[in-house]
Amino acid sequence: MKLLNFIFFSLLILGLASCNDDPADTKGTVTLHFKAVYDDIPLQMFNNRPFENGQTLEFTHLSMIISDLELLKQGSPELLDEVEIVNLTFDNTTAAEAGYTLTISGVPTGTYDGMRFGVGVPADVNAKKPADFSSGNPLSNTAYYWTPWSSYIFMKTEGRLDTIGNGTTDLGFALHTGSDALYNILEANIPLTVQDGLETTMDIVIDYKKVLQGVDIKANPQNHSPDDISTITAIVNNLAIAFSLVL
Amino acid sequence: MMKMGLQLKTIRYAGFIGVLLVGVISCHDSIDEPQIPAGDLTDIPYNPVPYMLDVPADFPALEQPNDNPMTVDGILLGRKLFYDPLLSIDSTVSCATCHQPSLSFSDGLALSQGVNGITRRGSLSLINVGFHYSGLFWDGRAKTLEELALIPIEDPIEMGESWDSVELKLRNHDGYPADFRKAFGIENVSMVDRYLAAKAIAQFLRTLVSGQNSRYDRYLRGEILLEENEINGYLMFFNIDPSLPDAQCGHCHNAPLLSTNDYFNNGLQESPDLYSFRDPGLGAITGIAGQNGFFKPPTSRNLVFTAPYMHDGSLKTLEEVVDHYTSGGKNSPNKSSFLFNLVLTESQKSDILAFLLTLTDSTTLTNPAYQSPF
Repeated sequence: MKLLNFIFFSLLILGLASCNDDPADTKGTVTLHFKAVYDDIPLQMFNNRPFENGQTLEFTHLSMIISDLELLKQGSPELLDEVEIVNLTFDNTTAAEAGYTLTISGVPTGTYDGMRFGVGVPADVNAKKPADFSSGNPLSNTAYYWTPWSSYIFMKTEGRLDTIGNGTTDLGFALHTGSDALYNILEANIPLTVQDGLETTMDIVIDYKKVLQGVDIKANPQNHSPDDISTITAIVNNLAIAFSLVL
Repeated sequence: MMKMGLQLKTIRYAGFIGVLLVGVISCHDSIDEPQIPAGDLTDIPYNPVPYMLDVPADFPALEQPNDNPMTVDGILLGRKLFYDPLLSIDSTVSCATCHQPSLSFSDGLALSQGVNGITRRGSLSLINVGFHYSGLFWDGRAKTLEELALIPIEDPIEMGESWDSVELKLRNHDGYPADFRKAFGIENVSMVDRYLAAKAIAQFLRTLVSGQNSRYDRYLRGEILLEENEINGYLMFFNIDPSLPDAQCGHCHNAPLLSTNDYFNNGLQESPDLYSFRDPGLGAITGIAGQNGFFKPPTSRNLVFTAPYMHDGSLKTLEEVVDHYTSGGKNSPNKSSFLFNLVLTESQKSDILAFLLTLTDSTTLTNPAYQSPF
């Protein structure tokens, strides 16, 4: 019932927007809630979750760099945000359900074809380093740059694993993605409407059970070696199924 | 109306006495000169000279607030205030008491000594403090250096003074009003206040830079070679060589500052849950339970001078520090996932220690611009 109402409301917005033939000077607000879940349940840090092969895990830190966040429109995508560090490290359910909120005002009204963003930074940006950015820029944060790789850390997935299922987390893991080859652009082709003076809200949900699908954390709890990127490649390849856009 | 009339009469009376006194003192020579308002500083030249700081090439840009650009006189005033115990209630403790240049701007104590006893944490080195943009102090409670400079004066243990009182002392001082005039162009003694004092101290703190003269920096620039054990330590510290164990140091002590803008629970405190930390650190400031037990990683630069280590001064030597981290530390729910029992040989630990010593820049300790002006 809730879903039906939501669809109806969306159609109503589409109808209203289409009455406006020249929305060039009108602006609306887009609010995005990035939310981490694990098997569809809001992801709270430091809580045990079942993992593969009888193991359990708990997360201690989840974050990622989102870049070139755009609303798609034929010919001219609308850039919402160049770069943002999205921190999904929440220690209680309420905060996890609310997620990380990003509000962009002054977005030209109209109907868009979808949304696109990168997880990480593109190669030209990755060729730079934190010292190249002013302190207000998220990319000045040295915590997201790994000098031995000459790369920004695109995504941090950290926690602890109970490797034998005895209730004690005995192995820390820190799976950090990075390097030009693992920059991943995600795109959702869902019509989105921005109305004059109104706020359009969307949830961008990432399911970490899907992120870690098929990843052998016990065998590869960390991935600092630039010569061994199989684990983080698997994570990056999982992102397309792990992300979803909810209107 | 009545009250106003009385005030006018009083002022006229005071003026008459004043004129009489001036006449007596100056034998009529200046009786026709314009009266200079009490506390006027405008006869002191105000010619601010911008200060250009020499920042190492790979460091982040040193950013200054628009309303507090560094000037030569601003830094001089800041240095004077930094070293002046006048800022404490009994004139026994200055900023430099806990931040001594000879100890890389720390104090050599486990917990610092204030006017009213022992503080709850150790002194954090101020080297490169101007490059920290995500909160200052161990727990991140000050957003800017200007904000930081205001806090210790009114801490009941550290300096135990009130800013109201400090402002009076500075205004009545023989030299400070002129210094504030030169630094900030104020026109009257009454304009000397805590915010300008904090700005001056912040300017001085921004000059405390180290990042060019250590053997590590010179090695990176290709000017010198390091010993084999130092290289091994370097490779393990930053996990550069996959054939060597990852010592996990670089996560929190990342180049070039050998620190980061993040906070971590580094396993110093045992806690069964998120709410039982002896010292909650960052969590007490943010109100986020998951950040209880989190502290700022101090720079590893010059750490040979900053013993004892950690926010609580609980580790006396660098050997103890390495042992702590290789053991995985004490357990708590939000302990950093980088901390677990590392399998390092004694030789590898020794290599890590050797590398840490390459981060020593003793020129910082003796830089004349950082020393007490008194």
